[in-house]
Amino acid sequence: MDFTLSPINKMVIKAGKDFCERRVPEIDAYMAEHGDYPPDLLERFAKASMLGFDVPKEYGGLETTNLNLILLIEEFGKTGSTCFLPLLMNNSVAETICHWGSEELKKRVVPPLCDGSAWATMAFTEPDTGSDPKMLTTTAKPDGDDFIINGCKRFISMANKPGYGVFICKDLSLAGQPHDSTAFIIDKNSPGISCSGHYELTGLDGADTCDIYFNDVRVPKENILGKPGEGFNVLLRWISGERIQQAAGMVGVGQRAFEESKKYSLQRIVNGMPMGYMQGFYWMLGEMKVKVDACRLMVYNAVTRQDAGKNFDTVSAEVKIFTTPLIQEVTRMGVQFHGSYGYSKEYLIEKLFRIAMHQGVVASSLEINKTIVGMTALMTK
Amino acid sequence: MKIIVTIKQVPNVTKVKWDADGSLIRAGLPTIINPVDKHALEAALQLKEKHGGEIIVISMGPGQVKSALREALCMGADEVIQLTDRKFAGADTWATSYALGCAIQKIGDYDLIISGVEAMDGNTAQVGPQLAEYLKLPLLSYALGIESDGKTIQIQQKLGDVERKIEADLPALITVEKEINDYRVTPMDKILEAFEKEIPVWEAADVDADLVHLGLKGSPTKLRKVFSPKIEKGKVQMLEGTPEEIARQVADKLNEKFLI
Repeated sequence: MDFTLSPINKMVIKAGKDFCERRVPEIDAYMAEHGDYPPDLLERFAKASMLGFDVPKEYGGLETTNLNLILLIEEFGKTGSTCFLPLLMNNSVAETICHWGSEELKKRVVPPLCDGSAWATMAFTEPDTGSDPKMLTTTAKPDGDDFIINGCKRFISMANKPGYGVFICKDLSLAGQPHDSTAFIIDKNSPGISCSGHYELTGLDGADTCDIYFNDVRVPKENILGKPGEGFNVLLRWISGERIQQAAGMVGVGQRAFEESKKYSLQRIVNGMPMGYMQGFYWMLGEMKVKVDACRLMVYNAVTRQDAGKNFDTVSAEVKIFTTPLIQEVTRMGVQFHGSYGYSKEYLIEKLFRIAMHQGVVASSLEINKTIVGMTALMTK
Repeated sequence: MKIIVTIKQVPNVTKVKWDADGSLIRAGLPTIINPVDKHALEAALQLKEKHGGEIIVISMGPGQVKSALREALCMGADEVIQLTDRKFAGADTWATSYALGCAIQKIGDYDLIISGVEAMDGNTAQVGPQLAEYLKLPLLSYALGIESDGKTIQIQQKLGDVERKIEADLPALITVEKEINDYRVTPMDKILEAFEKEIPVWEAADVDADLVHLGLKGSPTKLRKVFSPKIEKGKVQMLEGTPEEIARQVADKLNEKFLI
């Protein structure tokens, strides 16, 4: 498979690098001080036209490839900043609505996600389930032309930011049927919605993750995404893309861990020479580089299938299985490379290590992806 | 408002390497848009956002200048024009200004020309003023800010430690300082549009240029040598005497070296 990047791809990378060099430090400084995203973060992304990659132009999107999106995300990953998570969410939720939504929903909800005036959210996880739709307890009860939502969703990114979320609920109108989860688009400013404070996470510094509570929240039937009962399918398709994007960010994290280690190895003098020239260290560098390069190829392969319109559910799960331990190992090696400094917040490598830890448990666990790939292999004739 | 922006493609001097003789190693040297020229384009984009109109970017150089022009399209230029001809090769600042001037005359019907103050490889700051001279336009140089009502143009001009406001009727030529703005990150939508546009190439004959004034032959200045100044290892000489005597000795030494 040929992964030669086109001039457009290269220009996307160049623009991404430029944004990361000239805009991200200020954003990151705000996040470090406030423990939250700058209120105008999405406007900044929209100004650089970074929202709506795989969204038709008629709904305010760019109508370009997911490859371009993941090339951009790798650049963000290299910064060690978490600021790109809302960028991912607005892109992926807008694409999801375009795939499943009615024309009216697409026209109403997608443009604000692309122009940065609305923060996107995707919510499935609850206090007692992260991947089993049968365990959902957030209910949607039909009431005339509306549904009434009650319950709680856990670890929800941007839940307390104004905009639209896709919420997967137990649809009481489908009680007793095998597939009873339905996806609803809900305006997060709706009466009856409240949120907890932020969770303090190990990594992803400044990320805005909280619980969201629904108390008799009224949602019109027109806001159903897909068909009633298709909620879990909406989630699975969305998360397949999300896993690839997450992995692209982690490739950036791994690349930066490698580059920081290389830089340190040339600066630190041991026995009169840069320590990088000691075999133990250049072997480590070689190992780190190979791991990151291999992860990148896995991501490119998956996104190429996605852009070709082929099924990418399993391949995106494979990406997660492959890249998670490797990038975590690369950042761990980076910490080791830096010695005591690597365990200090004075050096970026410490932050990269903490970020890498999220990949195994956020946007589906590593283990559930092994289930997807393993079961698919078993059931494929 | 029809605005023409001139840009130059330059070697990325942050990555320049020199050979043993102190000569620039050009092979494989990455090229970039002269940084202050990006500020010139940004100034044009902001004027267009305020007043409407179009922006045409022009650059003279070898074939690879196309990549700089493509980037200008990505930033938001409406059109670009590439001036490439072997007859332009070796041009000094005047011959460059003449070639650019001929091309701009061919474009015609413009309101404003904006250039960066100077290129980071030559640092002459001559092309903008010479272009204004050739086109008989009022020159507003070293701009830190631009205002226009559509008929006249005003700039905040930086003159060393002093600033002043100057004004001229349009059409005019402005050279801008890098402090004038924070140029935009290339927007993704413009990148996608930019690669659908053609980049026309104009040769000397296309701009009705007089060959006598082009390229090396048409250049009144000749480059004799490019070299890196030799860095001599410092020698320390201890001076003795009263403070007044030492001060006199220091003055004499500096005088010997023509430093005062």
